[in-house]
Amino acid sequence: MDFPSSLRPTLFMTGPLGLNDVSDLSMCSWQNVLTQPEAQPQNLKNGALHVTKDLLWEPATPGPLPMLPPLVDSWEPGLTAQDLLFRGGYRYRRRPRVVLDVTEQISRFLWDHGDIAFAPIGKLMLENFKLEGAGRCTKKTTVVSVKKLLQDLGGHQPWGCPWASLSNRQRRFSILGGPILGTSVASHLAELLHEELVLRWEQLLLDEACTGGALAWVPGRTPQIGQLVYPAGGALDRLHFQEVVLAPGDNPQFLGKPGHIQLQGPVRQVVTGTVQGETLLAVRSDYHCAVWKFGKQWQPALLQAIQVDKGATGISLSPHLPGELAICSRSGAVCLWSPENGLQQVYKDPETLVFRDSSSWRWADFTAHPRVLTLGDRTGVKMIDTQGPPGCGLLLFRVGAEASCQKGERVLLTQYLRHSSPECLPPTLHLVCTQFSLYLVDERLPLVPMLKWNHGLPSPILLAQLLPPPRPGCVQPLLLGGQAGHLQLLHLAGEGVSAPRLAGPPQSLPSRTDSLPAFPLLEPKIQWRLQERLKAPTIGLAAVVPPLPSASTPGLVVFQLSVAGDVFYQQLRPQADSSPRRDAQPPGDTRPDCRAPTASWTPQDTAGCSQWLKALLKVPLAPPVWTAPTFNHHHLLGSMELQREEGVVQQPGVLREAMAQGRLLLQRDLGSLPLADPPPAPESGPADELSERLREAWAGRGAAWWERRRQARTSGPRRQPRRPKRRTQLSSTFSFSGHVDPSDGTSPPHSPEGPPAGALPRSPITSPSQELTPDAWSQGIPSERRQTLHDYMAKLPLQRDTPGHAGTPPSSQASSTRATHSRQHTPILSGSQHPRKKPRMGF
Amino acid sequence: MSRAASLPVIYSAQSVIGMSDFSEELKGPVTDDEQVETSVLSGAGMHFPWLQTYIETVAIGGKRKKDFAQTTSACLSFIQEALLKHQWQQAAEYMHSYFQTLEDSDSYKRQAAPEIIWKLGSEILFYHPKSNVETFNTFADRMKNIGIMNYLKISLQHALYLLHHGMLEDAKRKLSEAETWRHGEKTSSREILINLIQAYKGLLQYYTWSKKKRELSKLDKDDYAYSAVAQDVFNHSWKTSVNISALIKIPGVWDPFVKSYVEMLEFYGDRDGAQEVLTNYAYDEKFPSNPNAHIYLYNFLKRQKAPRSKLISVLKILYQIVPSHKLMLEFHTLLRKSEKEEHHKLGLEVLFGVLDFAGCTKNITAWKYLAKYVKKTLMGNHLVWVQEEWKSRKNWWPSFHFSYFWAKSDWKEDTALACEKAFVAGLLLGKESSWRSKNRPQTIMADSFFLAWMAICMYSLGTGDRLEIPLACLEMLRTSKLDGGWAPVPLE
Repeated sequence: MDFPSSLRPTLFMTGPLGLNDVSDLSMCSWQNVLTQPEAQPQNLKNGALHVTKDLLWEPATPGPLPMLPPLVDSWEPGLTAQDLLFRGGYRYRRRPRVVLDVTEQISRFLWDHGDIAFAPIGKLMLENFKLEGAGRCTKKTTVVSVKKLLQDLGGHQPWGCPWASLSNRQRRFSILGGPILGTSVASHLAELLHEELVLRWEQLLLDEACTGGALAWVPGRTPQIGQLVYPAGGALDRLHFQEVVLAPGDNPQFLGKPGHIQLQGPVRQVVTGTVQGETLLAVRSDYHCAVWKFGKQWQPALLQAIQVDKGATGISLSPHLPGELAICSRSGAVCLWSPENGLQQVYKDPETLVFRDSSSWRWADFTAHPRVLTLGDRTGVKMIDTQGPPGCGLLLFRVGAEASCQKGERVLLTQYLRHSSPECLPPTLHLVCTQFSLYLVDERLPLVPMLKWNHGLPSPILLAQLLPPPRPGCVQPLLLGGQAGHLQLLHLAGEGVSAPRLAGPPQSLPSRTDSLPAFPLLEPKIQWRLQERLKAPTIGLAAVVPPLPSASTPGLVVFQLSVAGDVFYQQLRPQADSSPRRDAQPPGDTRPDCRAPTASWTPQDTAGCSQWLKALLKVPLAPPVWTAPTFNHHHLLGSMELQREEGVVQQPGVLREAMAQGRLLLQRDLGSLPLADPPPAPESGPADELSERLREAWAGRGAAWWERRRQARTSGPRRQPRRPKRRTQLSSTFSFSGHVDPSDGTSPPHSPEGPPAGALPRSPITSPSQELTPDAWSQGIPSERRQTLHDYMAKLPLQRDTPGHAGTPPSSQASSTRATHSRQHTPILSGSQHPRKKPRMGF
Repeated sequence: MSRAASLPVIYSAQSVIGMSDFSEELKGPVTDDEQVETSVLSGAGMHFPWLQTYIETVAIGGKRKKDFAQTTSACLSFIQEALLKHQWQQAAEYMHSYFQTLEDSDSYKRQAAPEIIWKLGSEILFYHPKSNVETFNTFADRMKNIGIMNYLKISLQHALYLLHHGMLEDAKRKLSEAETWRHGEKTSSREILINLIQAYKGLLQYYTWSKKKRELSKLDKDDYAYSAVAQDVFNHSWKTSVNISALIKIPGVWDPFVKSYVEMLEFYGDRDGAQEVLTNYAYDEKFPSNPNAHIYLYNFLKRQKAPRSKLISVLKILYQIVPSHKLMLEFHTLLRKSEKEEHHKLGLEVLFGVLDFAGCTKNITAWKYLAKYVKKTLMGNHLVWVQEEWKSRKNWWPSFHFSYFWAKSDWKEDTALACEKAFVAGLLLGKESSWRSKNRPQTIMADSFFLAWMAICMYSLGTGDRLEIPLACLEMLRTSKLDGGWAPVPLE
């Protein structure tokens, strides 16, 4: 193999990262395009000429198009920074302070799931309470009458009112219960919650699970046909095989329904490769890896699956030997794996390579030598000889002064550029990507990057693919994908004895959000939903150079997979040398460079988009993953009392034991749950009047609707149909001790003061189960305006509206429904003297 | 391997554009509780450039960005976007507005601004269809003096730009200007930059020199112009050596400089000087292990007709660094010709080493050498050597080199290569017992040849329509003759 006869001048410094003051000589990216000065001046002149000044791929459409799947999966955007971070804080800090909001999360938890948080303690303290039904008066100071306590508490504001007066009873209770309630909840729950939040926040900052990408292209019998392999199905646990026909100059055709394999875990990485005519498919899940082989009918046949206890972080297929793979796990082990010979551990070190870093992410790949692997972690990349003594190796890349790394820089992705074609690039190059830069390292000259380029991607770069040259003798495109959907295309050149360099300026490709204009005009809510869907993180990238018919321009089809399971594709054509060149332009021509995007949406494109949208809208929004089990302490009070009288309460003993051992009290320790209502399911029913009317008006049929409506009203006094009891969903998750009199249709005043709007968690996990009671407002309001008020209240962000039942029932019905509902469970307190008091927590 | 100590990296919540954002971190370890907490949360020291966007979605306090800062940062992102879409004209228009950042009241940003402007501006001017060298010159000269801290870097890059456009004289002038520039105190980093600038100047002088040298070679010695040109050539050499020699003592990759410097030294007969430069470049521990350093030294020694042992010792080191280099075949020839037995052994190792690499599998010369040399080694009763080499390869070479797939495709593409490979396969995959009968060397070879022939048979017929014969051959190879680990080859 040829080694570049003369390398780019570089200063070599050793040491920690952050010393980039001097050594970063290449400040400008255009310098990477220059051929470096040769020792022979005549070569230099030629070099100046053959720099491709404008190598641009023109997208055929302004944005990628969705592939129409047989079934669009439902997807919910996960937690956002809004859900996790502490809002507010010091105004005059120079920098905003990032603090996880554990307090709010825990208070939300206690609020929403107080039963879980407090029930065991409540049971433990059962002997200190005088429950309903125990008629005799106790003189013991450690026994509190629950009934009275609840009455006292009734006036409190939900989020704690500092001005509320405390009764002696409450004070006694707080002295009594404070230490237990405070410490046990804080020590157990808060610790776990904090741990979870840290994990979520780290995941939000960098979700490394899908490093490498979960979308792959398998070439088929003919060059035109291939298969896309990708996970789909909500949890990404169904591996799809979609046959695709690539027609030159035309959009790819998707043949039939995709075949699928159901797996038991979410697919994180999909790799395919053809070695010596044998096509293999490797899949990495969190704790499993599997490899399939494509047979003669291009049907995958499972070769082997293995379990990785510590969690697999990377898998790669050997480009040299058929059926050989490298996998690495969080424990720091790298294994060579072949279905015939099983696993062979070649390296193990739980520590990171260069300096200490907390990340357990590891990556393994192959090199030009079939028996040498690379091992990458956040701090560097090392080459290890699988046949040498264990533990030895040579650092290929080091996050440090050698590569003039910045402070805080870490490796995000490392890849062996296996598909380099020998006439373009030597087969010894490795790509290393960090948050800031991209490095090309040659394994024959470790530590000194051959090329460094500041990619400037605003999201973590976890996907990269080197493509074959679209034309023989052409440069090789390198596709980079950021997690937030950013795509960049660079061109690498470095044939023969010249050092690898960028050929031409890099280019950005349209992301999925650029396709928004191709969709029809939508209602804001649906528009928002679509936008969220298009913004879903990219977890897979595959690009194919379709076969060239004679004398046709080469093309490029880029497929991308989002975490919602959507596959989008985009066709690219190289722009002909139509760019106005300085020398080619007539003098005095002041026309601005005509680089306006020439691509536009064709009717077929927009039709495809609408069709996809239709399929998307058919998907019901995912119901809350977990709804709080209903806890009704009135119900409980009676039964508890009964139990106590029978003397069968052993729970306190169990709880004490658990606390002594410092472990969590599990359900199985407690025996059967207290009687609980079945989790409420979203009720479906006709939408309410307002949204129906809006929808009709939007569609331009407002007048007709009104007419219909009037007829319906005049024809019968009975309101049709009966309103859905959407409120019951929320109210049934909650217990009301305060009695609501159904006759007057009003409920006690209730402070609307909740957390600030927009500050609410949007995750289904923390779906709010408390509600603002519009009835509180409706007191003293003319009955004709109550409807409006109700509708307004229903739109408050506390409620998670679903398109199916987006409305609010009229006040009278709603309150009566709820009243009857709560009456079913609250026969005891119905005669309460303080109808205004509504304690919200059951302890 | 030395492990750098874990750095006290402090986490910063701001997005990174230039180096300014780090300046606050450089103040030293901060004991503020917030810093500790956030560094735990953000994965101990890793910097997230996208964190800022998350923070912006949540109002979490901190000073609000001023309108000025907002517009500047928006403008910056517009420029970057336009650059990535190759909209040079638009980028240039945005750049006009971006100059306001030079007036930023934030001193960090103000200091970083010239560098960012230079980076983006030079990029726009480099690609803009209507920009020309004069525009670029004007821009560079202005930027040099605005960002006084970047004077040297910008000068150097300006010179490279001119060099790229073939304007050697202008480039040289820019470098001379930069060389004499003095401002503030001398720092080590600035000294290195000045060295680099001088070296580039030296390189440019070398270009002129080599042009003159070519002229000189065309002239007759009796020509009246000869002495003048010769004088010129001499003068240049002296200047260049001063310029380049300082830089190449600093650790780094200085291939073009070393190459031209050595050429000049050689021309003037300073062989010892040239050798010293090259030896230092190749063997200094502080330098990266640059294969070119060894290649240059080897080529120099070869030109100087150095003894074989010396050449071998140079290539031995290159072999350790890059066993796949094409000089390895030359190395093998040298080793083969050597008298020492250990060299003969190394010669075999080198050949095997070359063929280990993915880029060298189709190198017919290497296969030819290997076929010959394995045969020779076996004849010379050094079966152990072959066994030693084969031991680590027998579990993967068969499927890497001698698979049915390669047999077929090699035969189609390059019959000669297929034959050589078949021969080697025959030798290596043959029964080891047949190598061992020392007293009858003739039989050994016959046996091996038989296997090789069979292998060729298989190769040649593998492409044909009749598959029975290769099948039969394979079966024979598998059952009777082979125990060396012939991979199960898939047959269609």
